[in-house]
Amino acid sequence: MADRPPFDPYAILTALERRRVSYVVIGAFARVVQGAEEITHGIDIVPSIRGENLRRLELALEDLDAVRVDAEPVVLDEATIRDESWLELRSPAGELKVVPEPAGTRAGYDDLRRAATREPIGKGLRPSVASTADLARMLAALGREADLPKLIALRRLQGLERALGPELGR
Amino acid sequence: MWSAILIREARLRAGLSQQELAARSGRERSVIARWEQGAVAPSLEALLKIIQACGFDLPLELVARDDSTDEQLRKNARLSPERRVQRLLQARGKSG
Repeated sequence: MADRPPFDPYAILTALERRRVSYVVIGAFARVVQGAEEITHGIDIVPSIRGENLRRLELALEDLDAVRVDAEPVVLDEATIRDESWLELRSPAGELKVVPEPAGTRAGYDDLRRAATREPIGKGLRPSVASTADLARMLAALGREADLPKLIALRRLQGLERALGPELGR
Repeated sequence: MWSAILIREARLRAGLSQQELAARSGRERSVIARWEQGAVAPSLEALLKIIQACGFDLPLELVARDDSTDEQLRKNARLSPERRVQRLLQARGKSG
Protein backbone atom coordinates (compact mmCIF):
# COMPACT_ATOMS: atom_id res chain seq x y z
CA MET A 1 0.00 0.00 0.00
CA ALA A 2 1.42 3.38 -1.00
CA ASP A 3 2.18 5.85 1.77
CA ARG A 4 -0.47 8.51 1.96
CA PRO A 5 1.04 12.02 2.03
CA PRO A 6 0.46 13.78 5.34
CA PHE A 7 -2.33 16.33 5.39
CA ASP A 8 -3.49 18.33 8.37
CA PRO A 9 -5.35 21.34 6.99
CA TYR A 10 -6.01 22.59 10.50
CA ALA A 11 -2.28 22.80 11.28
CA ILE A 12 -1.57 24.69 8.06
CA LEU A 13 -4.41 27.16 8.50
CA THR A 14 -3.69 27.62 12.22
CA ALA A 15 -0.13 28.64 11.34
CA LEU A 16 -1.42 31.19 8.83
CA GLU A 17 -4.02 32.57 11.23
CA ARG A 18 -1.57 32.73 14.15
CA ARG A 19 0.70 34.98 12.08
CA ARG A 20 -2.33 36.98 10.88
CA VAL A 21 -1.60 36.31 7.21
CA SER A 22 -4.13 37.79 4.77
CA TYR A 23 -5.02 35.13 2.20
CA VAL A 24 -7.84 33.43 0.33
CA VAL A 25 -8.03 29.62 0.08
CA ILE A 26 -8.48 28.40 -3.50
CA GLY A 27 -8.09 25.09 -5.35
CA ALA A 28 -9.33 21.65 -4.42
CA PHE A 29 -9.54 22.27 -0.66
CA ALA A 30 -11.63 25.39 -1.25
CA ARG A 31 -13.89 23.45 -3.62
CA VAL A 32 -14.41 20.79 -0.95
CA VAL A 33 -15.25 23.44 1.65
CA GLN A 34 -17.81 24.83 -0.82
CA GLY A 35 -19.39 21.39 -1.32
CA ALA A 36 -17.46 19.65 -4.12
CA GLU A 37 -16.68 15.96 -3.92
CA GLU A 38 -12.89 15.79 -4.34
CA ILE A 39 -9.86 14.46 -2.54
CA THR A 40 -6.77 16.58 -1.98
CA HIS A 41 -3.54 16.41 -0.01
CA GLY A 42 -2.82 20.09 0.22
CA ILE A 43 -4.01 23.65 0.44
CA ASP A 44 -3.63 26.38 -2.17
CA ILE A 45 -3.71 30.00 -1.08
CA VAL A 46 -3.62 33.41 -2.70
CA PRO A 47 -1.89 35.78 -0.30
CA SER A 48 -2.00 39.54 -0.25
CA ILE A 49 1.38 40.43 -1.76
CA ARG A 50 1.88 43.53 0.35
CA GLY A 51 5.31 43.53 1.97
CA GLU A 52 4.23 43.18 5.60
CA ASN A 53 1.86 40.33 4.75
CA LEU A 54 4.57 38.46 2.87
CA ARG A 55 6.78 38.79 5.95
CA ARG A 56 4.00 37.27 8.06
CA LEU A 57 3.57 34.48 5.52
CA GLU A 58 7.30 33.79 5.66
CA LEU A 59 7.07 33.42 9.44
CA ALA A 60 4.08 31.08 9.14
CA LEU A 61 6.02 28.93 6.65
CA GLU A 62 8.92 28.79 9.09
CA ASP A 63 6.51 27.70 11.84
CA LEU A 64 5.32 24.90 9.54
CA ASP A 65 8.87 23.85 8.60
CA ALA A 66 7.78 24.29 5.00
CA VAL A 67 10.32 23.97 2.20
CA ARG A 68 10.02 24.43 -1.54
CA VAL A 69 9.68 21.17 -3.42
CA ASP A 70 12.32 22.39 -5.89
CA ALA A 71 14.71 22.88 -2.93
CA GLU A 72 15.15 26.56 -3.78
CA PRO A 73 15.18 28.97 -0.81
CA VAL A 74 11.85 30.53 0.11
CA VAL A 75 12.11 34.22 -0.77
CA LEU A 76 8.93 36.19 -0.29
CA ASP A 77 9.07 39.84 -1.20
CA GLU A 78 6.96 42.00 -3.46
CA ALA A 79 9.55 42.06 -6.25
CA THR A 80 10.29 38.34 -6.49
CA ILE A 81 6.81 36.96 -5.85
CA ARG A 82 5.46 38.75 -8.92
CA ASP A 83 7.81 36.63 -11.02
CA GLU A 84 6.52 33.35 -9.58
CA SER A 85 3.48 31.59 -11.06
CA TRP A 86 3.27 29.71 -7.79
CA LEU A 87 5.41 28.41 -4.94
CA GLU A 88 5.00 24.73 -4.19
CA LEU A 89 5.92 23.85 -0.63
CA ARG A 90 6.02 20.70 1.42
CA SER A 91 5.64 20.56 5.19
CA PRO A 92 5.04 17.92 7.85
CA ALA A 93 1.40 19.10 7.83
CA GLY A 94 1.02 18.63 4.08
CA GLU A 95 1.45 20.45 0.80
CA LEU A 96 0.93 24.17 0.51
CA LYS A 97 0.83 26.04 -2.76
CA VAL A 98 1.17 29.83 -2.76
CA VAL A 99 -0.32 31.35 -5.90
CA PRO A 100 0.12 35.13 -6.20
CA GLU A 101 -2.17 35.61 -9.21
CA PRO A 102 -4.22 32.57 -10.28
CA ALA A 103 -5.37 32.21 -13.87
CA GLY A 104 -8.62 34.02 -14.52
CA THR A 105 -8.09 36.66 -11.83
CA ARG A 106 -6.81 40.21 -11.90
CA ALA A 107 -4.46 41.10 -9.07
CA GLY A 108 -5.11 37.81 -7.24
CA TYR A 109 -5.98 38.49 -3.61
CA ASP A 110 -7.66 41.86 -4.15
CA ASP A 111 -9.89 40.33 -6.82
CA LEU A 112 -10.86 37.21 -4.85
CA ARG A 113 -11.30 38.67 -1.37
CA ARG A 114 -14.43 40.61 -2.40
CA ALA A 115 -16.55 37.48 -2.87
CA ALA A 116 -14.62 35.22 -0.46
CA THR A 117 -16.39 34.16 2.73
CA ARG A 118 -15.17 33.13 6.16
CA GLU A 119 -16.11 29.46 6.43
CA PRO A 120 -16.25 27.71 9.84
CA ILE A 121 -14.29 24.53 9.15
CA GLY A 122 -13.88 23.46 12.76
CA LYS A 123 -11.29 23.83 15.55
CA GLY A 124 -12.24 27.50 15.79
CA LEU A 125 -10.90 28.25 12.31
CA ARG A 126 -12.75 30.47 9.84
CA PRO A 127 -10.43 30.84 6.86
CA SER A 128 -11.33 33.08 3.97
CA VAL A 129 -12.42 30.79 1.12
CA ALA A 130 -12.94 31.80 -2.51
CA SER A 131 -16.55 31.84 -3.71
CA THR A 132 -17.90 29.03 -5.84
CA ALA A 133 -18.18 31.45 -8.77
CA ASP A 134 -14.55 32.50 -8.45
CA LEU A 135 -13.41 28.90 -8.08
CA ALA A 136 -15.23 28.09 -11.34
CA ARG A 137 -13.72 31.16 -13.01
CA MET A 138 -10.18 30.07 -12.06
CA LEU A 139 -10.72 26.44 -13.07
CA ALA A 140 -12.26 27.45 -16.41
CA ALA A 141 -9.36 29.81 -17.12
CA LEU A 142 -6.89 26.94 -16.82
CA GLY A 143 -8.62 25.33 -19.81
CA ARG A 144 -7.69 21.77 -18.85
CA GLU A 145 -9.93 19.07 -20.23
CA ALA A 146 -9.23 16.88 -17.19
CA ASP A 147 -10.83 19.53 -14.98
CA LEU A 148 -14.14 19.46 -16.85
CA PRO A 149 -15.97 17.18 -14.35
CA LYS A 150 -14.82 19.45 -11.49
CA LEU A 151 -16.01 22.49 -13.40
CA ILE A 152 -19.39 20.90 -14.08
CA ALA A 153 -19.70 20.10 -10.37
CA LEU A 154 -18.89 23.71 -9.46
CA ARG A 155 -21.48 24.99 -11.92
CA ARG A 156 -24.08 22.70 -10.34
CA LEU A 157 -23.07 23.93 -6.89
CA GLN A 158 -23.49 27.51 -8.14
CA GLY A 159 -26.97 26.55 -9.28
CA LEU A 160 -27.75 24.96 -5.92
CA GLU A 161 -26.50 28.02 -4.04
CA ARG A 162 -28.81 30.20 -6.07
CA ALA A 163 -31.75 27.83 -5.74
CA LEU A 164 -31.26 27.00 -2.06
CA GLY A 165 -29.58 30.27 -1.01
CA PRO A 166 -31.88 31.32 1.84
CA GLU A 167 -32.12 27.72 3.05
CA LEU A 168 -28.32 27.48 3.18
CA GLY A 169 -27.93 30.86 4.83
CA ARG A 170 -26.23 32.38 1.75
CA MET B 1 -29.55 31.69 -14.01
CA TRP B 2 -26.88 29.97 -16.10
CA SER B 3 -26.65 33.00 -18.32
CA ALA B 4 -26.09 35.17 -15.23
CA ILE B 5 -23.23 32.95 -14.06
CA LEU B 6 -21.59 32.82 -17.48
CA ILE B 7 -21.86 36.53 -18.26
CA ARG B 8 -20.34 37.53 -14.92
CA GLU B 9 -17.57 34.97 -15.25
CA ALA B 10 -16.71 36.07 -18.81
CA ARG B 11 -16.70 39.75 -17.82
CA LEU B 12 -14.47 39.17 -14.80
CA ARG B 13 -12.07 36.96 -16.76
CA ALA B 14 -11.82 39.70 -19.36
CA GLY B 15 -11.13 42.22 -16.58
CA LEU B 16 -14.00 44.45 -17.67
CA SER B 17 -16.36 46.57 -15.61
CA GLN B 18 -20.05 46.44 -16.46
CA GLN B 19 -19.67 49.92 -17.97
CA GLU B 20 -16.80 48.80 -20.18
CA LEU B 21 -18.73 45.75 -21.33
CA ALA B 22 -21.71 47.96 -22.08
CA ALA B 23 -19.53 50.14 -24.30
CA ARG B 24 -18.08 47.13 -26.09
CA SER B 25 -21.38 45.38 -26.64
CA GLY B 26 -23.64 48.33 -27.32
CA ARG B 27 -25.94 47.30 -24.46
CA GLU B 28 -27.05 49.46 -21.53
CA ARG B 29 -25.06 48.89 -18.35
CA SER B 30 -28.31 48.42 -16.44
CA VAL B 31 -29.30 45.60 -18.81
CA ILE B 32 -26.00 43.83 -18.21
CA ALA B 33 -26.44 44.29 -14.45
CA ARG B 34 -29.92 42.71 -14.57
CA TRP B 35 -28.61 39.81 -16.63
CA GLU B 36 -25.80 39.22 -14.12
CA GLN B 37 -28.24 39.37 -11.23
CA GLY B 38 -30.45 36.83 -12.96
CA ALA B 39 -33.36 39.26 -12.74
CA VAL B 40 -33.95 38.74 -16.45
CA ALA B 41 -32.37 36.30 -18.88
CA PRO B 42 -30.99 37.29 -22.29
CA SER B 43 -31.96 35.41 -25.42
CA LEU B 44 -29.48 32.76 -26.48
CA GLU B 45 -28.32 35.00 -29.32
CA ALA B 46 -27.77 37.93 -26.95
CA LEU B 47 -25.90 35.66 -24.53
CA LEU B 48 -23.52 34.48 -27.25
CA LYS B 49 -22.90 38.07 -28.36
CA ILE B 50 -22.18 39.36 -24.88
CA ILE B 51 -19.78 36.47 -24.25
CA GLN B 52 -18.05 37.28 -27.55
CA ALA B 53 -17.78 40.93 -26.50
CA CYS B 54 -15.74 39.65 -23.55
CA GLY B 55 -13.38 37.91 -25.97
CA PHE B 56 -14.71 34.38 -25.51
CA ASP B 57 -16.73 31.87 -27.47
CA LEU B 58 -19.39 29.70 -25.89
CA PRO B 59 -19.36 26.50 -27.93
CA LEU B 60 -22.75 24.86 -27.98
CA GLU B 61 -22.69 21.11 -28.18
CA LEU B 62 -25.21 18.48 -27.17
CA VAL B 63 -23.69 15.89 -24.85
CA ALA B 64 -25.29 13.14 -22.81
CA ARG B 65 -26.23 14.39 -19.36
CA ASP B 66 -24.45 12.77 -16.43
CA ASP B 67 -26.42 13.42 -13.26
CA SER B 68 -24.71 10.73 -11.19
CA THR B 69 -23.12 13.28 -8.87
CA ASP B 70 -26.14 15.55 -8.47
CA GLU B 71 -27.58 13.82 -5.42
CA GLN B 72 -24.22 13.89 -3.62
CA LEU B 73 -23.77 17.57 -4.43
CA ARG B 74 -27.25 18.26 -3.07
CA LYS B 75 -26.33 16.48 0.15
CA ASN B 76 -23.00 18.29 0.36
CA ALA B 77 -24.72 21.63 -0.12
CA ARG B 78 -26.64 21.00 3.08
CA LEU B 79 -23.59 19.99 5.13
CA SER B 80 -21.63 22.48 7.20
CA PRO B 81 -18.14 23.42 5.95
CA GLU B 82 -16.74 21.64 9.01
CA ARG B 83 -18.53 18.42 8.07
CA ARG B 84 -17.32 18.70 4.48
CA VAL B 85 -13.70 18.91 5.65
CA GLN B 86 -14.24 15.95 7.99
CA ARG B 87 -15.61 13.93 5.06
CA LEU B 88 -12.53 14.82 2.99
CA LEU B 89 -10.20 13.64 5.74
CA GLN B 90 -12.20 10.43 6.18
CA ALA B 91 -12.15 9.81 2.42
CA ARG B 92 -8.37 10.25 2.37
CA GLY B 93 -8.13 7.64 5.10
CA LYS B 94 -10.16 5.18 3.05
CA SER B 95 -8.32 5.91 -0.23
CA GLY B 96 -4.87 5.35 1.31
